[in-house]
Amino acid sequence: MRRRESACCGGCTHFQNGALQLEAALPGLSALSSAYAAVRLDDGICAVHERYVAAASVCPAFADNVAAFGYEA
Amino acid sequence: MAHIAHTAGSQALARRSPWGGLFRKEDWWAIWIGLALVAVAVALFAGGSSLKWIAVAPQKWTHLSDLGQQLKVHGLQYAALFVLWSVAFGIGAAALGIKISRFLPAFVLVYVAAGALYFLGQWDQAAHYNLEPPLVALGIGLLVSNTFGVPRWLDPGLRVEFYIKTGIVLLGAGLPLTLIGWAGPVAIVQAAIVSLATFGVIYFAAVSLGLDRRLAATLGTGGAVCGVSGAIAVGGAVGARKEEVSVAISLVVVWAIVMIFVLPLLSRSLGLSTGVAGAWIGTSEFADAAGLAAAQTYGGYAGNVPGIAGTPDAAVSAFTLMKVIGRDVWIGVWAFVLSLIATTRWERTGVQSKSSAAEIWNRFPKFVLGFLIASAVLTLVTRGFDYAAYKKEVVPALVAPLQALRTWAFTFAFLSIGLTTRLREFASIGARPFYAFTIGVVVNVIVGFVLSTQVFAGFWNRLGQ
Repeated sequence: MRRRESACCGGCTHFQNGALQLEAALPGLSALSSAYAAVRLDDGICAVHERYVAAASVCPAFADNVAAFGYEA
Repeated sequence: MAHIAHTAGSQALARRSPWGGLFRKEDWWAIWIGLALVAVAVALFAGGSSLKWIAVAPQKWTHLSDLGQQLKVHGLQYAALFVLWSVAFGIGAAALGIKISRFLPAFVLVYVAAGALYFLGQWDQAAHYNLEPPLVALGIGLLVSNTFGVPRWLDPGLRVEFYIKTGIVLLGAGLPLTLIGWAGPVAIVQAAIVSLATFGVIYFAAVSLGLDRRLAATLGTGGAVCGVSGAIAVGGAVGARKEEVSVAISLVVVWAIVMIFVLPLLSRSLGLSTGVAGAWIGTSEFADAAGLAAAQTYGGYAGNVPGIAGTPDAAVSAFTLMKVIGRDVWIGVWAFVLSLIATTRWERTGVQSKSSAAEIWNRFPKFVLGFLIASAVLTLVTRGFDYAAYKKEVVPALVAPLQALRTWAFTFAFLSIGLTTRLREFASIGARPFYAFTIGVVVNVIVGFVLSTQVFAGFWNRLGQ
């Protein structure tokens, strides 16, 4: 059974780490790298802080995202 | 930014599982595709056959009629090769979440355009007119994407990194493991000197100019380690602002593209051997795809431009040893160390990052493993052959077909670089980040030049013999 991570960015509704959306949000990323690259891990953009953060990060503004059920930090 | 928050709930967020990463990262798909091709090539070779029928490549030609004749004779092979690449990259793209119905139409155009560039490179007057395929591919791509524009339906087929990583895995089949063992330590020492110097210069210049430490670290790693990949790895590890990551990406891409043209030009004017030039490019270029475009261009001068010593492959081999073995593999270490410093020493941002030594493996560019495995496999398979037998039997039946497939994959990537570089979409850079990064570029190029042409010149020259 998957464990629900209750507080990390990977499970937050403000967190965006879809590959295509990231490549659209960061112009030039796909020109000489890729959002599908292993070095990116699951990093994404926090819409609250407007920062590019690791999925395992945490913050007080966490808002549970149902679609992220199963995310494990 | 608001739209990002709203779409977050409608799509599946990344999930981690022990095996999930093996299928949802392009590094692994580059390994699967590259090693599958190597395995098939080895199996056919062991059975007395070869992959060369499908690994078709244009031959030297003089008149257009020769070209027509080649297409007429080998048309079926080119069609079969298209099917092979479409299936391989199509499956990989689908696993990454790119719809195959969107990937395939775009890939048709990529394949046809890459084929045209490959043929152009085989024209016996190509070197005379400086029509090196990587530069032509890049130039045409940049021109089209920044003037007429590239239709969005082409985007799914323009996967620079997917193609270049697959090509690097195939490149491993052409580099004996003994050579990597011999040259690797020197590459690591040279890369360490340049990486530390470049990072230090960019970081301290940026901080001195009043820029945030997280931006300074992101810029520094982009310039010193592995370009855009380095910037996003460290940007995420330290929690940089989104626009800071965008600025770093823009600076790396612009300078990397400038260097694709400048480094081969300078090397040529100085008459550097292919091995030395490849090492310099590997030290001073910022991204794998950009550097391979420059190195392959320079390799093409061997035998065509008077005064350029060394074999054509030496430039690409030296580049790969320097960049992939010397610099890329350390990105996880950089990300871990900088995230540790960010969480313990720098001002808080509102988001608390977690620093873990696991970062070293998690951010490791896995395609390097495929490169090393391919090298080990070919080294084992060919160890019973003496040099004469190797040249006569192994090269034409096993090594050359894999080399042709590698050139195809690289050409797909070179074409995609130009077509995905839309300068008007780039973030506004600002003067201070530009100055900080550019100082680092200058230091990087000078130190890389001194190390490649003076300190380790004898070593890199031997590589090209």
